[in-house]
Parts: sequence; structure tokens; C-alpha cells
Amino acid sequence: MLLTLLFVLVFALIALGVPVAIALAGPSLVFILIDGHVPGLVVAHRMINGVDSFPLLAVPFFILAGNLMNSSGITERIFDFAKALIGWLPGGLGHVNIGASVIFAGMSGAAVADAGGLGAIEIKAMRDAKYDPGFAVGITAASSTIGPIIPPSLPIVIYGVVAGASIGQLFAAGLVPGLLMAAALMVMVAYYAHRYNYPRDQAFRFGVLGRAFMRAFLSLMTPVIIVGGILTGAFTPTEAAIAACVWALFLGLIVYRTLTLRRFLKVSMDTIETTAVVLFIVAAASIFAWILTSNRVPEHFAAALLTVSENPIIILLLINLILLVVGCFMETVAAITILVPVLLPIAIHVGIDPVHFGVILVLNLMIGLLTPPVGMVLYVLSRVAKVPFERCVSATAPFLIPLFAVLLLVTFFPVFTMWLPTLIYR
Amino acid sequence: MSPDDKTDDQSSIADLIHEEDEDLTGFQWDDGLVLVVFWVLAFVVFLQFFTRYVLNDSLGWTEEIARFLLVTVTFLGVVMAVRRESQIAVELAFRWLSRPARKALQYFIDLVSIGFYGVMGYLCSQVAVRTQQKMVSIDFPKSSIYWFICACFAAMTLYALINFWRHVRTGSSRLIDPETAKAVGPSL
Repeated sequence: MLLTLLFVLVFALIALGVPVAIALAGPSLVFILIDGHVPGLVVAHRMINGVDSFPLLAVPFFILAGNLMNSSGITERIFDFAKALIGWLPGGLGHVNIGASVIFAGMSGAAVADAGGLGAIEIKAMRDAKYDPGFAVGITAASSTIGPIIPPSLPIVIYGVVAGASIGQLFAAGLVPGLLMAAALMVMVAYYAHRYNYPRDQAFRFGVLGRAFMRAFLSLMTPVIIVGGILTGAFTPTEAAIAACVWALFLGLIVYRTLTLRRFLKVSMDTIETTAVVLFIVAAASIFAWILTSNRVPEHFAAALLTVSENPIIILLLINLILLVVGCFMETVAAITILVPVLLPIAIHVGIDPVHFGVILVLNLMIGLLTPPVGMVLYVLSRVAKVPFERCVSATAPFLIPLFAVLLLVTFFPVFTMWLPTLIYR
Repeated sequence: MSPDDKTDDQSSIADLIHEEDEDLTGFQWDDGLVLVVFWVLAFVVFLQFFTRYVLNDSLGWTEEIARFLLVTVTFLGVVMAVRRESQIAVELAFRWLSRPARKALQYFIDLVSIGFYGVMGYLCSQVAVRTQQKMVSIDFPKSSIYWFICACFAAMTLYALINFWRHVRTGSSRLIDPETAKAVGPSL
């Protein structure tokens, strides 16, 4: 009874616009005080311990690295390189959009950083080339979700911490699905280009590609350092994050000389604010998740779900459905911290590897970023592209089809996720 | 469109994007503390990386100190986010409500927030009083960390009160009148 009330209160407060962290921790605090089994100071203790974690140290530095890339001109160089590489295809800038997102995904771990930084450049370029603004927003939104699937990835770090799974293996597991997403979206763009007769924006020239490559070479080394470093086991995720920051600072301060003092301060303050706000949610959600586990909610839920079916395929479909619905309504970090303790035991029960499950979870939540009501990426793009929110929603909808196709492939064929981590780590 | 126009236009996008890159409005001098702690944290993590990699012998104290600094940055950062009203929230309800309803809801959110920060501050002081441990790697009482976080919550309460007072006095806020304010705030 009290538990039901807790759930209702949490979701009501979130829906009313109370900051997500308070909506999670506030009712939990009231629950503990009324319930009376443990003293209220447990809440404070839990909340602080929720952030006191070594792997979470990767969070601020991946955010910092992404912000440094965006403000030191690295992002622009990567876009130009992608344009020279695949801009000659019909519907060129659509493909460029995806290609640039894949490269950027290897340096940044957040879909919203992709949408807000790279996305602004992409949409502007597509508008100048007279593409339909809806198509531009749709493809930018969809391709930005590749960012947290290809390593590095903030949602994956947080999943790894909550699930106690190896973040290195999870990163390796995301690489192939991320490339699949890119391929599926490119098929979609090719279809659009064919159907609406999109022009080729430019001819392919080796000279242009060569020059763009030389100009972007040092920037392109960033994903090589991060992804290569993690996959070869040379770096732990936190080390890769700090190495990427040092490299980005080196490029911005010494090579490109684009990083002024003001920009440096702005990047630092933005990073601090994002880190704090995100980790505050992690801390708050850890109290809520603790109440759930100590009241055996995951067990009851698992028992209920397993009475529906013991068939792994049906269970996986149900889990996907739950994740999609929650992903539409809830903020990513909060969703991970709350859902993992509930859903992971069920997944393990039907024989799904925690690493495989992590990728499924994040992929679902990324699709949730593209759907109303809480589509964070859509809000950012609506602001950046000055396209009304409702128009962003309808423009992005067709691009959900290729993403769903990848989701089904990744869910039911573990080989896509598990092949690389097994090869490297097991 | 001639090629010249295009380059002109492109440099203006770059300018536009980078203008936002240098916009520090909303930050103030006391944010310097969290800035310093953040870069000390970056240095400590780098030091750990460097000692493990180059000197092949990582410094033991760096891990615990780094975790402690991460907690500090988080709570100090939240103080800043409370002041700047930039926490992650689902602001959808505000799109559909009338202005008086938005106003009432804003006051409700303010009051819930003030209450939460206040109670959390009190609870942290309770944890601090009961903590006698010291940190493992250095001779530093753990209770100081809890006292510090208690102070952070006190600062959050204060800033939330100031914001509430401003909302009541002006009858307006970013959520009540979204057009008058630029959207701020980070998210994943």
C-alpha cells in the first residue's frame, strides 16, 4: 500500500515538473520516515554513497572531452571530413550527418551533446543546401542516438556501475550495434534520396578528401585514442576519458589555438553543471532503488512477469516494451538507476548476459529520447533548428523504423553484442 | 548563391555557435570554488593515470581522494544548479497549463524543493555527528565531508528560498513565462 503510494507520488511529481532528483528522493525520504524501519539519516548516507564510486569518475571527463571537442573546432573538422568522404552519394548530407555522428560517437558519450553541438552544424548545412528542414531534423535526431551506443557512453558507464558489469566489456559490446544503427539509417536515407530524387551535393574528389583528411587528422585521432585504448585494454574507461581531455586540451590550446580563456571557463562550468545534475539524479535514484530492493519489489515483479511466460523470447519482448514505455516518460539516468535492479535479475534468469542486456537497455532508452513526451533530443533540436516541437516529433517518426529494426536484431541475436567482448575479454 | 556568400554564411554560423561558447551569464565569482575543486579532481585523476602508466606504480591515495572530490564537485555543482534553476526536470506540464496554473505549480515546486533541501541538510548533520571514521589514505575525519555536504544542502535551501522569493515578487519565472527566458540546463 505504502509502496504503491510511493510509486504514484514519484511519477506524479516528475510529471508535474519537480526536478527529477527531488521527485525520486523526496517521496523515498517520506516513505522511510513513515515506514519507520530505518532512521531517516540512512537516506542522506545512501545518497552520498550513491556518488562515491570510482567508475563514476568517467562521467565528468567524458562530458568534459565532448564539450572541449565542440568548442575547439574539432567537431567542424570532423563534419568537413565526413562531407568529403561520403557527401557525393545521392542525399549526400543525410549520409554525412550519419557518418559524422559515428565519428563523434567515438569521442562523446551523450546523445544530447551530439544533437546540440554537431547537430547544429549538420542542420545548418542541410538547410543551406535546401534540404527539407523536417528531413534534416529527423536524421540529425536519429543519428545522435548512435553516440551513447558506440563507446564511450555515459549511460553505459552508469549502467555498468548500477549492474556491477564490466564497463570495458559493455563498451566493446556497443561498437557493432552502433555501426548497425548507422547502416540502417543510411539505408533509410538512400530510400528517401531515391523516392524524392535528392541531388548529389558534390562530386567525389580525391584532392578534397585528402585535404579534409589532413585538416581533420589530429581530430580524428581522438576516437582512435579512446575507442582503441579501451578495446585493446590499454586504458580503463576513466583513463580513456582523462586521456581524451588531455588530447582535446592539447589540440585546442596548442595546435588549433581556438580555446580562449572565456571558452575554457564556459566549458568547465558547463561540464561541472551537467556532471552535478546527472550525478545528483544517480544519488537520488539510488535511494529509490534501495527501497525497491529492500522491499523485495524486484522479486515480486520477476515472479509476476515469469508467470506470463518462461519463454526468453516473450520475456525479452516484454522487457523491451517496458523499457520503451519508461524511456518515453523518464529521464535516461533515472530510468537506468531504477530499472536495472528490477529488470536485470529477470534477464539473467532467462539466460541473458548482463553485458548484452546493458546494450538492449541503452538502445531502448535512446529511442525514448526521440519520442514525446520526454524526448530530450527533440527539445534540443527544436531549439537549435528553430523548428516547432510537434514538427520535430513527426519528422523524426519515420527514422524510428530503422532503429526498431536494429533493436530487434540486437535483442534476439546476441552475437551482435557479444562477439567483440568475447573476442577481447573472455 | 555565389561561393563567397556561402563562406560568409558559414563563418557566421561558426560565430553564432561560438558566441554561445563564451556566454558566461548566470555564473558568478563564488562558482570559482567548484571550478577549482573540479580541476584539482581532473589533476588527481590525471596523476593516477600518469603514475600507473608512466611510472608503472599508481599512487594509492589518488583513488580515495578522487572519489571524495567527485562527491564534493557533485554537491557543490548542485548548489550552482539550484541557483541557476537548471536541474533536469520534465517541463511538459507547463506547456499545457494556463498562466495562473503555471504560477501555482511553480510555487509548489519551489516549496517542495525548499523542504527537501532543508530536511536533507538536517539529516546530513545527523550523519556527520555519528561518523567517527577517518579516511583510509589520509588522516582526515570523514565527518568533515558530511559536514561539508550539510553546508551544501544549507546553501541549496538558501538559494531555493531566494528563487522562491523572486518568483513571488516578480510573479514570473522561466517556467511561468518561457518566452522571456533562454532555456538553460544540461542533460544526457
